[in-house]
Amino acid sequence: LEKKQKEILNTDYPWILNHDHSKQKEISDWLTFEIKDFVAYISPSREEIEVRNQTISMIREAVKQLWPDADLHVFGSYSTDLYLPGSDIDCVITSELGGKESRNNLFSLASHLKKKNLATEIEVVAKARVPIIKFVEPNSGIHIDVSFERTNGLEAAKLIREWLNDTPGLRELVLIVKQFLHSRRLNNVHTGGLGGFSIICLVFSFLHMHPRIITKEIEAKDNLGVLLIEFFELYGKNFGYDDVALGSSDGYPVYFPKSTWNAIQPIKNPFTLAIQDPGDESNNISRGTFNIRDIKKAFAGAFDLLTNRCFELHSATFKDRLGKSVLGNVIKYRGKARDFEDE
Amino acid sequence: SQCPHKWNKIQCTLCKSEKHLKERCPSIWRAYILVDDSKMAKSKVLPFHTIYCYNCGEKGHFGDDCKKRRSSRVPNDDGSAFTGSNLSAELKQEYYC
Ligand SMILES: [Zn+2]
Ligand SMILES: [Zn+2]
Repeated sequence: LEKKQKEILNTDYPWILNHDHSKQKEISDWLTFEIKDFVAYISPSREEIEVRNQTISMIREAVKQLWPDADLHVFGSYSTDLYLPGSDIDCVITSELGGKESRNNLFSLASHLKKKNLATEIEVVAKARVPIIKFVEPNSGIHIDVSFERTNGLEAAKLIREWLNDTPGLRELVLIVKQFLHSRRLNNVHTGGLGGFSIICLVFSFLHMHPRIITKEIEAKDNLGVLLIEFFELYGKNFGYDDVALGSSDGYPVYFPKSTWNAIQPIKNPFTLAIQDPGDESNNISRGTFNIRDIKKAFAGAFDLLTNRCFELHSATFKDRLGKSVLGNVIKYRGKARDFEDE
Repeated sequence: SQCPHKWNKIQCTLCKSEKHLKERCPSIWRAYILVDDSKMAKSKVLPFHTIYCYNCGEKGHFGDDCKKRRSSRVPNDDGSAFTGSNLSAELKQEYYC
């Protein structure tokens, strides 16, 4: 098995192996099944979760040994179960006495973890607005980012977990959109891409405002295929980025005119994404997403690719459909072979 | 019936739209699996307070039905999911009245 897992799969859409849905009457339903297969495929196995938890608790113990007043918490996509294989684990160290973000502390933690054989390839970023240390835990190979004394990430993660509970389909569509943007290198906030929280807000709004969902006529989980296409339709073709901001009120998403959001006035470039931070109404969580032009274009392209694929497969014979992928037209996944089970 | 133009006229035989042919009809992919009618509440209500416009950001109408100038430069010839036309017949009445 070890050897098998290290082989690189010779396909761009490995989730279709042994999972044939080409006999579905509606292509949208075929796509729904493929989305579920993809999500199952990239979801971690029990062993992977075990390794990750052990790794984190060893690092936590080491932190507490160095600083008895401190604790380490996981936030970000690992704590919300919205991560892709190989993504970094985001952690934050908080402490009773505070001040763990000082330059000296960053370096003493780095050397402490190194001495305990818990960190290699260490990078200390002391001068940034948010000081962090980055390293690879050598036994698991997991990449870890540690930040200090900031609890806003923990609060956001708590909120996102509530949204996930209240919003069927949110997890599946977020993972697809993340992988889509990842393979186009449009998900890195440091290069103007769309960050994880912003992606969640876009999908969250889409699902809670959809005419068929607000009237309870459809269940999102049964309709992931058509909903994915309509997500790309909304944010790739129709959304008014110039005039509309996203926000939330009482746990539900809202749109509102950008012109009524005082904290972001004056608006220099109107064609930008504006998402109000649920934890701080003066903060635009997508202010770093300066490349919305390419992101919108990519979404519109995905809409065209998927709908064209639907038209093509709709008129194809069952024989010609065999072995084809609908989702594979917009998502590629290359990496280690992964075993996955159907739920 | 002798008029040659009749044969050039585009009309979708699936949805009667004149914007596309049936091979490219959105109804091919915009196909929902509906909740079983017996499981649905007897009288459907339209929750106007959860309707927001993607074009102007105001409440109470869907983006396709916005009266303001369209802000996106990508055309929306065939209509999107966010329109009153995407509601079931009885709710459509409630929305458009
Ligand atoms: Zn049509
Ligand atoms: Zn409007």
